[in-house]
Amino acid sequence: MEEARRVKDQHSAVPNTTTGASANGTGARNTRNTGPGRLLIAVYAVFAISASARAGYQILTKFSEAPLAYLLSAFAALVYVVATVSLAKAGSTWFKVSVAAVLVELVGVLVVGALSVFDSVAFPHETVWSLFGRGYAFIPLLLPILGLVWLYRRRPVRNA
Amino acid sequence: MDAYFYIILVVGLLSSGICLLAGILKKAPNDATILSVAAVEVALLVYLVGSIVRVIAGEPIAGEAWEFWGYLATAMLLPPAAVYWSILERTRWSNFVLAAVGVTALVMAARMNQIWY
Repeated sequence: MEEARRVKDQHSAVPNTTTGASANGTGARNTRNTGPGRLLIAVYAVFAISASARAGYQILTKFSEAPLAYLLSAFAALVYVVATVSLAKAGSTWFKVSVAAVLVELVGVLVVGALSVFDSVAFPHETVWSLFGRGYAFIPLLLPILGLVWLYRRRPVRNA
Repeated sequence: MDAYFYIILVVGLLSSGICLLAGILKKAPNDATILSVAAVEVALLVYLVGSIVRVIAGEPIAGEAWEFWGYLATAMLLPPAAVYWSILERTRWSNFVLAAVGVTALVMAARMNQIWY
């Protein structure tokens, strides 16, 4: 069933490759940035933009208030940017980068989420990952889980 | 929350609903979904023009002005980007990408309202 779905997705992506507008030109066939992967990349892109803008704003205007929290914001933004780019790129190297970025994101949201709950004094300032991403409808918590599921399903086949 | 927010609330939810439904029905992006996202862009354009008029009329923005305009400019980039992307890959999944625009615009409009007042 999974194979059938994969074939179907590739078929539907044919107009894309013929226009030459996709990133598939590297030779290796990339199945990560089509179908549901596009939705994932789109959501990651939105988070990359909003987290970068927010971190930039926090650091430029009120960095001294909570350096740790705002550096964390910047780090989260960086992780989202790396995840977005690596998910969109073809090849097994980018696949590894994706896995690393999504894992860091998952650890980040869990650790920062837990710290913000148990030690709210040290983390009084909002970051994307505070309270497990409650300020963002828990999407920051959901996203790395969906990301890992997606990456596992589209993992590169060895010696293929 | 002002009228601009409620316009984007209605248009955004409608657009996201149409795109989500089309995606669930396994349809590729079509006129209905793309035009609904275009409507979101028009709603944001109305917000932009209205805000410019209000600033010229002398109404102050309570929060950081550049933050407000930053949000508005970013929000206005989303619909064209999503439509461009949906044209590159015409599958049902692009409809879900389009569906994300309305909801995101709605959240950003809420934040813009907070900054303004």
